[in-house]
Amino acid sequence: MKKFLKYLLALIAFLFIGYHSVYFKKLTEVSARTSTEKINISQYTRTFWNKKLLPSLNKALSLNELIALLKTDPEKAFSTYGKALGIGDLKYFMVKGVGKVMKVNENEVALLSTATTENLVVNIATEYVYGNAVRDASGLINTNDFDNTSDFNEISAGINQIIRDEVLPDFKKRIASGDRIEFVGAIELNKKFLNLSDIEITPVQLKILK
Amino acid sequence: MKRIYAFFLVLSLLTIGACRNKPTAEEPKKIAVIVSTLNNPWFVVLAETAAAKARALGYEAKIFDSQNNTALEADHFENAISSGFNAILFNPTDADGSIANVSKAKAADVPVFCMDREVNSNKSATSQILSDSYSGCIALGKYFVKKLNKKGKYVEILGLVGDNNTWARSKGFHSVVDHYPGLKMVAQQSADFDRNKAMEVLESILQANPDIDAVFCGNDAMAMGAYQALYAAGKANHVQVFGFDGADDVLNSIKEGKIKATGMQYPKVMAETAALYAQEYFNGKRNFPQKVPVAVELVTPENIKNYSAN
Repeated sequence: MKKFLKYLLALIAFLFIGYHSVYFKKLTEVSARTSTEKINISQYTRTFWNKKLLPSLNKALSLNELIALLKTDPEKAFSTYGKALGIGDLKYFMVKGVGKVMKVNENEVALLSTATTENLVVNIATEYVYGNAVRDASGLINTNDFDNTSDFNEISAGINQIIRDEVLPDFKKRIASGDRIEFVGAIELNKKFLNLSDIEITPVQLKILK
Repeated sequence: MKRIYAFFLVLSLLTIGACRNKPTAEEPKKIAVIVSTLNNPWFVVLAETAAAKARALGYEAKIFDSQNNTALEADHFENAISSGFNAILFNPTDADGSIANVSKAKAADVPVFCMDREVNSNKSATSQILSDSYSGCIALGKYFVKKLNKKGKYVEILGLVGDNNTWARSKGFHSVVDHYPGLKMVAQQSADFDRNKAMEVLESILQANPDIDAVFCGNDAMAMGAYQALYAAGKANHVQVFGFDGADDVLNSIKEGKIKATGMQYPKVMAETAALYAQEYFNGKRNFPQKVPVAVELVTPENIKNYSAN
Protein backbone atom coordinates (compact mmCIF):
# COMPACT_ATOMS: atom_id res chain seq x y z
CA MET A 1 0.00 0.00 0.00
CA LYS A 2 2.85 2.35 0.95
CA LYS A 3 4.59 1.50 -2.30
CA PHE A 4 1.40 2.32 -4.23
CA LEU A 5 1.15 5.68 -2.49
CA LYS A 6 4.80 6.43 -3.30
CA TYR A 7 4.28 5.65 -6.98
CA LEU A 8 1.07 7.69 -7.04
CA LEU A 9 2.75 10.72 -5.49
CA ALA A 10 5.70 10.35 -7.87
CA LEU A 11 3.31 10.16 -10.83
CA ILE A 12 1.39 13.26 -9.66
CA ALA A 13 4.68 15.13 -9.18
CA PHE A 14 5.88 14.00 -12.62
CA LEU A 15 2.64 15.10 -14.30
CA PHE A 16 2.63 18.42 -12.43
CA ILE A 17 6.22 19.24 -13.39
CA GLY A 18 5.72 17.95 -16.95
CA TYR A 19 2.59 20.06 -17.45
CA HIS A 20 4.30 23.22 -16.24
CA SER A 21 7.54 22.57 -18.17
CA VAL A 22 6.09 22.53 -21.67
CA TYR A 23 3.61 24.85 -23.28
CA PHE A 24 2.37 25.28 -26.81
CA LYS A 25 1.49 28.48 -28.63
CA LYS A 26 0.09 29.09 -32.06
CA LEU A 27 2.54 30.71 -34.48
CA THR A 28 -0.14 33.29 -35.25
CA GLU A 29 -0.13 34.31 -31.57
CA VAL A 30 3.64 34.71 -31.56
CA SER A 31 3.54 36.72 -34.74
CA ALA A 32 0.70 38.84 -33.32
CA ARG A 33 2.83 39.49 -30.24
CA THR A 34 5.70 40.67 -32.45
CA SER A 35 3.32 43.05 -34.21
CA THR A 36 2.13 44.34 -30.84
CA GLU A 37 5.75 45.03 -29.89
CA LYS A 38 6.13 46.95 -33.14
CA ILE A 39 2.97 48.91 -32.39
CA ASN A 40 4.45 49.73 -29.01
CA ILE A 41 7.36 51.43 -30.72
CA SER A 42 4.98 53.63 -32.67
CA GLN A 43 2.95 54.24 -29.50
CA TYR A 44 6.18 55.08 -27.70
CA THR A 45 7.03 57.59 -30.45
CA ARG A 46 3.60 59.24 -30.25
CA THR A 47 3.74 59.43 -26.44
CA PHE A 48 7.29 60.75 -26.63
CA TRP A 49 6.21 63.44 -29.12
CA ASN A 50 3.16 64.57 -27.12
CA LYS A 51 4.29 64.17 -23.55
CA LYS A 52 8.04 64.70 -23.63
CA LEU A 53 9.23 66.46 -26.77
CA LEU A 54 6.57 69.17 -27.21
CA PRO A 55 6.56 70.20 -23.50
CA SER A 56 10.37 70.43 -23.58
CA LEU A 57 10.51 72.87 -26.51
CA ASN A 58 10.25 75.94 -24.29
CA LYS A 59 13.74 75.04 -23.08
CA ALA A 60 15.17 75.32 -26.60
CA LEU A 61 18.10 77.68 -26.89
CA SER A 62 17.81 80.86 -28.95
CA LEU A 63 19.59 80.26 -32.26
CA ASN A 64 21.15 83.71 -32.15
CA GLU A 65 22.49 83.15 -28.65
CA LEU A 66 23.98 79.85 -29.72
CA ILE A 67 25.62 81.37 -32.80
CA ALA A 68 27.09 84.19 -30.72
CA LEU A 69 28.53 81.69 -28.23
CA LEU A 70 29.86 79.45 -31.00
CA LYS A 71 31.75 82.42 -32.38
CA THR A 72 33.23 83.52 -29.05
CA ASP A 73 33.61 80.27 -27.12
CA PRO A 74 32.83 77.19 -29.24
CA GLU A 75 34.16 74.80 -26.58
CA LYS A 76 31.66 76.13 -24.05
CA ALA A 77 28.83 76.13 -26.59
CA PHE A 78 29.39 72.46 -27.41
CA SER A 79 29.97 71.30 -23.84
CA THR A 80 27.02 73.23 -22.41
CA TYR A 81 24.36 72.82 -25.08
CA GLY A 82 25.52 70.12 -27.50
CA LYS A 83 23.93 66.73 -27.14
CA ALA A 84 24.93 63.36 -28.58
CA LEU A 85 24.21 59.78 -27.63
CA GLY A 86 27.61 58.44 -28.56
CA ILE A 87 31.19 59.40 -29.22
CA GLY A 88 32.32 61.74 -31.98
CA ASP A 89 32.32 65.30 -33.24
CA LEU A 90 28.69 65.45 -34.35
CA LYS A 91 26.55 67.24 -31.75
CA TYR A 92 22.92 68.23 -31.80
CA PHE A 93 21.18 71.35 -30.49
CA MET A 94 17.51 72.19 -30.04
CA VAL A 95 17.11 75.83 -31.09
CA LYS A 96 14.35 78.39 -31.50
CA GLY A 97 14.08 81.69 -33.29
CA VAL A 98 12.25 84.06 -35.56
CA GLY A 99 13.10 84.86 -39.16
CA LYS A 100 12.04 86.28 -42.48
CA VAL A 101 11.62 83.94 -45.44
CA MET A 102 14.06 84.86 -48.19
CA LYS A 103 13.22 82.11 -50.64
CA VAL A 104 10.99 79.04 -50.79
CA ASN A 105 12.96 76.28 -52.50
CA GLU A 106 11.92 72.78 -53.50
CA ASN A 107 13.67 71.13 -50.56
CA GLU A 108 14.04 73.89 -48.00
CA VAL A 109 13.01 77.37 -46.95
CA ALA A 110 15.84 79.90 -46.73
CA LEU A 111 15.38 82.10 -43.71
CA LEU A 112 17.05 85.30 -42.57
CA SER A 113 17.29 84.88 -38.84
CA THR A 114 16.36 88.22 -37.24
CA ALA A 115 17.08 89.77 -33.83
CA THR A 116 20.75 89.38 -34.43
CA THR A 117 23.51 91.88 -34.95
CA GLU A 118 24.49 90.32 -38.25
CA ASN A 119 22.53 88.63 -41.00
CA LEU A 120 22.40 84.89 -40.64
CA VAL A 121 20.75 82.76 -43.30
CA VAL A 122 19.64 79.31 -42.24
CA ASN A 123 17.61 76.65 -44.04
CA ILE A 124 14.48 75.02 -42.69
CA ALA A 125 14.38 71.47 -44.13
CA THR A 126 11.03 70.83 -45.76
CA GLU A 127 11.86 67.73 -47.82
CA TYR A 128 14.77 65.71 -46.41
CA VAL A 129 13.57 65.20 -42.86
CA TYR A 130 15.55 62.09 -41.95
CA GLY A 131 18.15 61.17 -39.34
CA ASN A 132 18.51 61.51 -35.60
CA ALA A 133 18.78 65.29 -35.17
CA VAL A 134 15.48 65.75 -33.31
CA ARG A 135 15.72 62.57 -31.20
CA ASP A 136 19.29 63.33 -30.12
CA ALA A 137 18.93 67.11 -29.72
CA SER A 138 16.02 66.56 -27.34
CA GLY A 139 18.38 64.83 -24.89
CA LEU A 140 15.35 62.91 -23.62
CA ILE A 141 16.10 59.40 -24.88
CA ASN A 142 18.81 57.05 -23.70
CA THR A 143 20.14 54.38 -26.04
CA ASN A 144 20.48 51.91 -23.15
CA ASP A 145 16.74 51.99 -22.51
CA PHE A 146 16.36 49.92 -25.68
CA ASP A 147 17.32 46.29 -26.07
CA ASN A 148 18.12 46.58 -29.74
CA THR A 149 19.47 49.29 -31.95
CA SER A 150 16.82 48.92 -34.62
CA ASP A 151 14.01 49.84 -32.16
CA PHE A 152 16.03 52.86 -31.17
CA ASN A 153 16.43 53.88 -34.81
CA GLU A 154 12.71 53.39 -35.37
CA ILE A 155 12.04 56.10 -32.77
CA SER A 156 13.87 58.57 -35.01
CA ALA A 157 12.04 57.33 -38.09
CA GLY A 158 8.73 57.76 -36.22
CA ILE A 159 9.55 61.29 -35.09
CA ASN A 160 10.55 62.27 -38.63
CA GLN A 161 7.34 60.77 -40.00
CA ILE A 162 5.26 62.92 -37.60
CA ILE A 163 7.18 65.99 -38.80
CA ARG A 164 6.64 65.09 -42.49
CA ASP A 165 2.95 64.26 -41.96
CA GLU A 166 1.87 66.85 -39.42
CA VAL A 167 4.31 69.75 -39.20
CA LEU A 168 5.27 70.34 -42.83
CA PRO A 169 2.26 69.89 -45.18
CA ASP A 170 0.28 72.94 -44.03
CA PHE A 171 3.45 75.03 -43.68
CA LYS A 172 4.59 74.16 -47.22
CA LYS A 173 1.18 75.04 -48.62
CA ARG A 174 1.01 78.47 -47.00
CA ILE A 175 4.58 79.73 -46.83
CA ALA A 176 5.75 82.49 -49.18
CA SER A 177 8.75 84.76 -49.56
CA GLY A 178 8.62 87.69 -47.17
CA ASP A 179 6.66 85.84 -44.48
CA ARG A 180 7.91 86.01 -40.92
CA ILE A 181 8.06 82.71 -39.11
CA GLU A 182 8.72 81.38 -35.66
CA PHE A 183 10.51 78.06 -35.43
CA VAL A 184 11.78 75.43 -33.01
CA GLY A 185 13.95 72.67 -34.38
CA ALA A 186 17.12 70.63 -34.22
CA ILE A 187 20.48 71.32 -35.82
CA GLU A 188 23.57 69.16 -36.26
CA LEU A 189 27.00 70.74 -35.96
CA ASN A 190 30.45 69.21 -36.34
CA LYS A 191 32.63 70.28 -33.43
CA LYS A 192 35.88 69.72 -35.30
CA PHE A 193 34.81 71.19 -38.63
CA LEU A 194 32.39 73.88 -37.51
CA ASN A 195 30.53 75.46 -40.42
CA LEU A 196 28.04 78.19 -39.57
CA SER A 197 27.33 79.13 -43.17
CA ASP A 198 25.28 76.03 -43.94
CA ILE A 199 22.96 75.47 -40.99
CA GLU A 200 19.96 73.24 -41.63
CA ILE A 201 17.12 73.14 -39.12
CA THR A 202 14.93 70.05 -38.84
CA PRO A 203 11.70 71.68 -37.70
CA VAL A 204 9.58 70.48 -34.79
CA GLN A 205 7.29 73.52 -34.58
CA LEU A 206 6.65 76.13 -37.27
CA LYS A 207 4.38 79.14 -37.06
CA ILE A 208 3.79 81.68 -39.83
CA LEU A 209 3.46 85.13 -38.21
CA LYS A 210 2.74 87.11 -41.42
CA MET B 1 48.17 5.97 3.28
CA LYS B 2 47.11 9.42 4.44
CA ARG B 3 50.47 10.80 3.31
CA ILE B 4 49.94 9.42 -0.17
CA TYR B 5 46.48 11.07 -0.32
CA ALA B 6 47.97 14.36 0.91
CA PHE B 7 50.73 14.12 -1.68
CA PHE B 8 48.24 13.62 -4.55
CA LEU B 9 45.99 16.38 -3.21
CA VAL B 10 48.86 18.88 -3.18
CA LEU B 11 49.99 17.69 -6.61
CA SER B 12 46.46 18.13 -8.04
CA LEU B 13 46.13 21.61 -6.57
CA LEU B 14 49.49 22.61 -8.02
CA THR B 15 48.50 21.23 -11.42
CA ILE B 16 45.17 23.09 -11.39
CA GLY B 17 46.94 26.24 -10.27
CA ALA B 18 49.42 25.97 -13.12
CA CYS B 19 46.65 25.63 -15.72
CA ARG B 20 45.47 29.19 -15.09
CA ASN B 21 48.40 31.40 -15.72
CA LYS B 22 47.15 34.43 -13.83
CA PRO B 23 49.56 37.32 -13.55
CA THR B 24 50.62 38.29 -10.05
CA ALA B 25 49.84 41.70 -8.64
CA GLU B 26 53.24 43.04 -9.77
CA GLU B 27 52.94 41.80 -13.36
CA PRO B 28 51.14 44.06 -15.83
CA LYS B 29 47.62 43.00 -16.75
CA LYS B 30 47.22 41.30 -20.12
CA ILE B 31 44.80 42.35 -22.85
CA ALA B 32 43.92 40.13 -25.81
CA VAL B 33 42.89 41.81 -29.07
CA ILE B 34 40.87 39.27 -31.05
CA VAL B 35 40.06 40.56 -34.53
CA SER B 36 37.89 39.02 -37.27
CA THR B 37 40.58 39.29 -39.95
CA LEU B 38 43.96 40.86 -40.57
CA ASN B 39 43.49 40.42 -44.29
CA ASN B 40 41.78 43.80 -44.57
CA PRO B 41 43.77 46.98 -43.81
CA TRP B 42 40.78 48.52 -42.02
CA PHE B 43 40.83 45.75 -39.37
CA VAL B 44 44.61 45.91 -39.14
CA VAL B 45 44.28 49.57 -38.11
CA LEU B 46 41.56 48.62 -35.60
CA ALA B 47 43.61 45.81 -34.02
CA GLU B 48 46.95 47.62 -34.00
CA THR B 49 45.45 50.78 -32.52
CA ALA B 50 43.73 48.77 -29.76
CA ALA B 51 46.96 46.93 -28.93
CA ALA B 52 49.04 50.13 -29.06
CA LYS B 53 46.62 51.96 -26.77
CA ALA B 54 46.59 49.03 -24.32
CA ARG B 55 50.41 49.05 -24.24
CA ALA B 56 50.45 52.83 -23.81
CA LEU B 57 48.21 52.37 -20.77
CA GLY B 58 50.78 50.00 -19.28
CA TYR B 59 49.33 46.61 -20.18
CA GLU B 60 50.65 43.66 -22.15
CA ALA B 61 48.74 43.22 -25.41
CA LYS B 62 48.59 40.45 -27.99
CA ILE B 63 46.69 40.36 -31.30
CA PHE B 64 44.85 37.19 -32.39
CA ASP B 65 43.61 36.86 -36.00
CA SER B 66 40.36 34.85 -36.35
CA GLN B 67 40.64 34.76 -40.17
CA ASN B 68 36.86 35.22 -40.42
CA ASN B 69 36.42 31.77 -38.84
CA THR B 70 34.30 31.42 -35.69
CA ALA B 71 35.96 28.07 -34.81
CA LEU B 72 39.37 29.72 -34.82
CA GLU B 73 37.90 32.60 -32.88
CA ALA B 74 36.65 30.10 -30.26
CA ASP B 75 40.20 28.71 -29.97
CA HIS B 76 41.54 32.22 -29.41
CA PHE B 77 39.01 32.79 -26.63
CA GLU B 78 39.95 29.47 -24.98
CA ASN B 79 43.64 30.42 -25.19
CA ALA B 80 43.07 33.93 -23.90
CA ILE B 81 41.04 32.69 -20.93
CA SER B 82 43.39 29.85 -20.00
CA SER B 83 46.49 32.03 -20.47
CA GLY B 84 45.18 34.48 -17.91
CA PHE B 85 44.35 37.47 -20.13
CA ASN B 86 42.44 39.99 -18.03
CA ALA B 87 40.33 41.58 -20.77
CA ILE B 88 39.46 41.02 -24.42
CA LEU B 89 39.08 43.76 -27.02
CA PHE B 90 37.03 42.00 -29.61
CA ASN B 91 36.03 42.45 -33.23
CA PRO B 92 33.52 39.60 -33.81
CA THR B 93 33.48 37.38 -36.85
CA ASP B 94 29.76 36.69 -36.72
CA ALA B 95 27.01 38.60 -34.87
CA ASP B 96 25.31 35.35 -33.79
CA GLY B 97 28.14 32.83 -34.00
CA SER B 98 30.42 34.87 -31.73
CA ILE B 99 27.96 35.12 -28.81
CA ALA B 100 29.04 31.76 -27.35
CA ASN B 101 32.68 32.89 -27.27
CA VAL B 102 31.84 36.14 -25.52
CA SER B 103 29.65 34.27 -23.02
CA LYS B 104 32.51 31.88 -22.28
CA ALA B 105 34.74 34.83 -21.38
CA LYS B 106 31.99 36.34 -19.26
CA ALA B 107 31.62 33.07 -17.36
CA ALA B 108 35.36 33.21 -16.67
CA ASP B 109 35.02 36.83 -15.41
CA VAL B 110 36.99 38.19 -18.34
CA PRO B 111 35.40 41.40 -19.64
CA VAL B 112 34.85 41.68 -23.40
CA PHE B 113 34.65 45.02 -25.22
CA CYS B 114 33.37 44.71 -28.79
CA MET B 115 34.79 47.06 -31.39
CA ASP B 116 33.05 48.08 -34.63
CA ARG B 117 31.02 44.88 -35.04
CA GLU B 118 28.36 43.84 -32.56
CA VAL B 119 27.13 40.52 -31.21
CA ASN B 120 23.38 39.99 -31.16
CA SER B 121 23.14 39.87 -27.41
CA ASN B 122 22.83 42.64 -24.86
CA LYS B 123 23.94 40.45 -21.99
CA SER B 124 27.25 38.94 -23.06
CA ALA B 125 29.76 41.70 -23.78
CA THR B 126 30.69 44.27 -21.14
CA SER B 127 30.20 47.03 -23.71
CA GLN B 128 30.00 47.34 -27.50
CA ILE B 129 31.58 50.35 -29.19
CA LEU B 130 30.13 50.52 -32.68
CA SER B 131 30.10 52.78 -35.70
CA ASP B 132 26.68 54.34 -36.12
CA SER B 133 26.40 52.81 -39.59
CA TYR B 134 22.63 53.28 -39.79
CA SER B 135 22.78 57.04 -39.16
CA GLY B 136 25.82 57.42 -41.41
CA CYS B 137 23.92 55.80 -44.26
CA ILE B 138 20.88 58.01 -43.66
CA ALA B 139 23.17 60.98 -44.34
CA LEU B 140 24.53 59.19 -47.42
CA GLY B 141 20.98 58.35 -48.52
CA LYS B 142 19.93 62.01 -48.30
CA TYR B 143 22.95 63.08 -50.34
CA PHE B 144 22.30 60.28 -52.84
CA VAL B 145 18.69 61.44 -53.41
CA LYS B 146 19.80 65.07 -53.78
CA LYS B 147 22.55 64.21 -56.27
CA LEU B 148 20.24 62.05 -58.37
CA ASN B 149 17.52 64.68 -58.15
CA LYS B 150 15.05 62.05 -56.87
CA LYS B 151 15.06 59.92 -59.99
CA GLY B 152 17.17 57.29 -61.76
CA LYS B 153 18.24 53.66 -61.75
CA TYR B 154 20.74 52.37 -59.25
CA VAL B 155 22.56 49.26 -58.04
CA GLU B 156 23.29 48.38 -54.43
CA ILE B 157 26.36 46.25 -53.65
CA LEU B 158 26.12 44.73 -50.19
CA GLY B 159 28.87 43.53 -47.84
CA LEU B 160 28.94 40.17 -46.03
CA VAL B 161 25.32 39.10 -45.63
CA GLY B 162 25.99 37.63 -42.15
CA ASP B 163 27.38 40.89 -40.80
CA ASN B 164 25.03 43.28 -38.96
CA ASN B 165 26.90 46.28 -40.38
CA THR B 166 25.90 45.23 -43.90
CA TRP B 167 22.22 45.49 -43.02
CA ALA B 168 22.52 48.53 -40.76
CA ARG B 169 24.06 50.39 -43.72
CA SER B 170 21.57 49.08 -46.23
CA LYS B 171 18.59 49.83 -43.98
CA GLY B 172 19.81 53.34 -43.18
CA PHE B 173 20.24 54.05 -46.89
CA HIS B 174 16.85 52.60 -47.85
CA SER B 175 15.09 54.41 -44.97
CA VAL B 176 15.60 57.55 -47.08
CA VAL B 177 15.84 56.40 -50.68
CA ASP B 178 12.72 54.22 -50.62
CA HIS B 179 10.58 57.31 -50.06
CA TYR B 180 11.31 58.34 -53.64
CA PRO B 181 9.47 56.21 -56.21
CA GLY B 182 11.48 57.79 -59.03
CA LEU B 183 14.57 55.96 -57.77
CA LYS B 184 14.58 52.36 -58.96
CA MET B 185 16.99 49.72 -57.62
CA VAL B 186 17.67 47.46 -60.62
CA ALA B 187 19.99 45.06 -58.76
CA GLN B 188 21.11 44.32 -55.20
CA GLN B 189 23.95 41.86 -54.80
CA SER B 190 26.62 40.95 -52.24
CA ALA B 191 30.33 41.31 -52.91
CA ASP B 192 31.49 40.43 -49.37
CA PHE B 193 33.16 43.83 -48.79
CA ASP B 194 35.74 42.77 -51.39
CA ARG B 195 37.08 45.09 -54.09
CA ASN B 196 37.64 42.46 -56.80
CA LYS B 197 34.31 40.77 -56.16
CA ALA B 198 32.53 44.13 -56.38
CA MET B 199 34.17 44.76 -59.75
CA GLU B 200 33.07 41.35 -61.07
CA VAL B 201 29.55 41.74 -59.64
CA LEU B 202 29.06 45.14 -61.25
CA GLU B 203 30.55 44.02 -64.56
CA SER B 204 27.93 41.30 -64.73
CA ILE B 205 25.08 43.61 -63.61
CA LEU B 206 26.07 46.17 -66.26
CA GLN B 207 25.49 43.61 -68.99
CA ALA B 208 21.79 43.43 -68.13
CA ASN B 209 21.48 47.05 -66.94
CA PRO B 210 23.77 49.28 -69.02
CA ASP B 211 21.76 52.44 -68.24
CA ILE B 212 22.27 52.84 -64.47
CA ASP B 213 22.83 56.24 -62.87
CA ALA B 214 24.40 55.32 -59.54
CA VAL B 215 25.95 52.57 -57.41
CA PHE B 216 25.68 52.48 -53.64
CA CYS B 217 28.31 50.26 -52.00
CA GLY B 218 28.43 48.98 -48.41
CA ASN B 219 32.12 49.86 -48.06
CA ASP B 220 34.88 51.79 -49.79
CA ALA B 221 36.78 48.77 -51.11
CA MET B 222 33.67 47.76 -53.06
CA ALA B 223 33.18 51.37 -54.21
CA MET B 224 36.68 51.31 -55.69
CA GLY B 225 35.91 47.96 -57.38
CA ALA B 226 32.64 49.36 -58.73
CA TYR B 227 34.46 52.42 -60.07
CA GLN B 228 36.98 50.16 -61.85
CA ALA B 229 34.15 48.23 -63.52
CA LEU B 230 32.48 51.47 -64.62
CA TYR B 231 35.77 52.86 -65.89
CA ALA B 232 36.41 49.71 -67.95
CA ALA B 233 32.90 49.98 -69.39
CA GLY B 234 33.39 53.65 -70.26
CA LYS B 235 30.65 54.77 -67.86
CA ALA B 236 32.71 56.26 -65.03
CA ASN B 237 31.85 59.84 -65.98
CA HIS B 238 28.10 59.57 -65.73
CA VAL B 239 27.48 56.92 -63.07
CA GLN B 240 27.80 58.21 -59.51
CA VAL B 241 29.49 55.89 -56.96
CA PHE B 242 28.92 56.08 -53.21
CA GLY B 243 30.97 54.21 -50.59
CA PHE B 244 31.32 53.87 -46.83
CA ASP B 245 34.40 53.82 -44.52
CA GLY B 246 36.49 56.88 -45.29
CA ALA B 247 39.42 54.92 -46.77
CA ASP B 248 42.33 56.99 -48.10
CA ASP B 249 41.96 55.88 -51.72
CA VAL B 250 38.28 56.87 -51.70
CA LEU B 251 39.03 60.23 -50.11
CA ASN B 252 41.50 60.86 -52.94
CA SER B 253 38.91 59.68 -55.46
CA ILE B 254 36.33 62.10 -54.05
CA LYS B 255 38.89 64.87 -54.44
CA GLU B 256 39.49 63.81 -58.05
CA GLY B 257 35.75 63.61 -58.77
CA LYS B 258 35.70 59.85 -59.30
CA ILE B 259 33.65 58.85 -56.24
CA LYS B 260 30.71 60.99 -55.10
CA ALA B 261 30.65 60.48 -51.32
CA THR B 262 31.50 58.19 -48.40
CA GLY B 263 30.76 57.85 -44.70
CA MET B 264 33.82 58.51 -42.53
CA GLN B 265 34.24 55.91 -39.80
CA TYR B 266 36.68 56.22 -36.92
CA PRO B 267 38.30 52.83 -36.21
CA LYS B 268 41.00 54.45 -34.07
CA VAL B 269 38.40 56.10 -31.83
CA MET B 270 36.61 52.77 -31.36
CA ALA B 271 39.83 50.87 -30.62
CA GLU B 272 41.17 53.47 -28.18
CA THR B 273 37.82 53.73 -26.41
CA ALA B 274 37.73 49.94 -25.97
CA ALA B 275 41.22 49.97 -24.39
CA LEU B 276 40.26 52.86 -22.09
CA TYR B 277 37.10 50.99 -21.05
CA ALA B 278 39.26 47.96 -20.15
CA GLN B 279 41.38 50.21 -17.98
CA GLU B 280 38.26 51.61 -16.29
CA TYR B 281 37.09 48.03 -15.71
CA PHE B 282 40.39 47.15 -14.03
CA ASN B 283 39.93 50.23 -11.84
CA GLY B 284 36.59 48.95 -10.62
CA LYS B 285 34.00 50.46 -12.96
CA ARG B 286 31.18 48.06 -13.82
CA ASN B 287 28.26 50.10 -15.16
CA PHE B 288 29.27 50.46 -18.82
CA PRO B 289 26.72 51.45 -21.47
CA GLN B 290 25.87 48.32 -23.44
CA LYS B 291 26.14 50.07 -26.80
CA VAL B 292 28.17 53.16 -27.58
CA PRO B 293 27.56 54.54 -31.07
CA VAL B 294 30.46 56.33 -32.74
CA ALA B 295 29.37 59.06 -35.16
CA VAL B 296 29.92 58.55 -38.90
CA GLU B 297 30.45 61.74 -40.91
CA LEU B 298 29.38 62.38 -44.49
CA VAL B 299 32.31 63.20 -46.79
CA THR B 300 31.51 64.88 -50.12
CA PRO B 301 33.34 67.07 -52.64
CA GLU B 302 31.94 70.06 -50.70
CA ASN B 303 33.76 69.18 -47.45
CA ILE B 304 36.60 66.90 -48.65
CA LYS B 305 39.18 69.52 -47.64
CA ASN B 306 38.40 68.70 -43.99
CA TYR B 307 39.21 65.01 -44.38
CA SER B 308 41.88 64.76 -47.04
CA ALA B 309 45.46 65.11 -45.84
CA ASN B 310 46.88 65.48 -49.34
